Amino acid sequence: MARRREPRDVLEKMHSQHAQDKKNDRMETGSFPQVRKKPKRDLNRNASRARLLTSALVMVLCALLGFGYMTQINNTTSTYETMSESELVRLITESNTQLSNLQQRKNELTSQLNSLKSAVDEQEQAQRIAKQNEETSGLLSGRLPATGEGVIVTVGEGRDEKVDASIMFSLIEELRNAGAEVIAINDVRVVATTYIKDADTGLVSDGVTLTPSYVVRAIGNSQDLANAVNIAGGVGAQLQVKYGATVTVETSDTVEINQVRDDTQYKYAKTVE
Amino acid sequence: MAAVLGLIVGVVVGVFVKPDIPVVLQPYLPIMVVAALDALLGAARAYFERSFHDRVFVISFFANVLTATLLVFLGNQLGVGSQLQTAVIVVLGIRIFSNVSSIRRFIFRG
Repeated sequence: MARRREPRDVLEKMHSQHAQDKKNDRMETGSFPQVRKKPKRDLNRNASRARLLTSALVMVLCALLGFGYMTQINNTTSTYETMSESELVRLITESNTQLSNLQQRKNELTSQLNSLKSAVDEQEQAQRIAKQNEETSGLLSGRLPATGEGVIVTVGEGRDEKVDASIMFSLIEELRNAGAEVIAINDVRVVATTYIKDADTGLVSDGVTLTPSYVVRAIGNSQDLANAVNIAGGVGAQLQVKYGATVTVETSDTVEINQVRDDTQYKYAKTVE
Repeated sequence: MAAVLGLIVGVVVGVFVKPDIPVVLQPYLPIMVVAALDALLGAARAYFERSFHDRVFVISFFANVLTATLLVFLGNQLGVGSQLQTAVIVVLGIRIFSNVSSIRRFIFRG
């Protein structure tokens, strides 16, 4: 400290000395100037921001990893470019064996399919034949009504002699010989077992009494059937001449025979196995 | 936390976005993924050892990926690409195993 003025007397000198000492005794002396310390650096000043930044970076990197992983998974199916030659050869051989296996399997299945198809065809054929058989046998045995081209022969009551069973039988036989397929007399369907016998009131056929006039309907070639009845010296002429009965033969394109009979149960006859 | 979140986000994005990888990059992508996985597991181990540092992780991630890719690239240039690829995978696999085992020790010791 520079002295600003000269002391005038001792007292004043002492005073000033004292003041000077007091001033110099202070801790914060000029001779030992306090070194300005660097301000204590705040360690946590930027920490939160930096942490946020780095965690974001970590997140991005991990996202990159996950993304790469999934991409690689999606891509593994088509990475033939990266395979070595031996691997490719192995793949080709595997594919070839698989192909031949599949081809074989396909052949097997095709042959199976063909056999099944033919089996179905056979079954259909059998079904068709069975149906046909059923129809024909149904017509034969009288189970089914029939319609078709044919003749309707009406035999009136005999004037000279009663129309008897034998002449009716021969009429039916003539019609059969001429190719009649289905025959009915009045309400009786004529089948293989049909009989005709004489009775007091007329004729009895299969247990049914027939009264004149007799209407015989036959399905077959109408011309043949008409000829069979009308032929000179035939059954029609006999009926007219011998029995004095009126005989009319009417050909028709649709003769309907609706008379049916139940299935006959055979008691004695059995089919040969 | 951020790492798990990032993994989930990446997988979801990868499921929905299916980019065409350029043919040049195709042989390197699996190696990159394995290297990154190694870095991630190393980071997890460091986390359990209380010595995890963000910057170290980021740098090790990039260094791993880059080194692995460069190695394979070098192998392809020298004509031993697949062998070197195998070697890299083996080394990374060993590292992954050791990382996992130390993580396991940390978890099960307490």
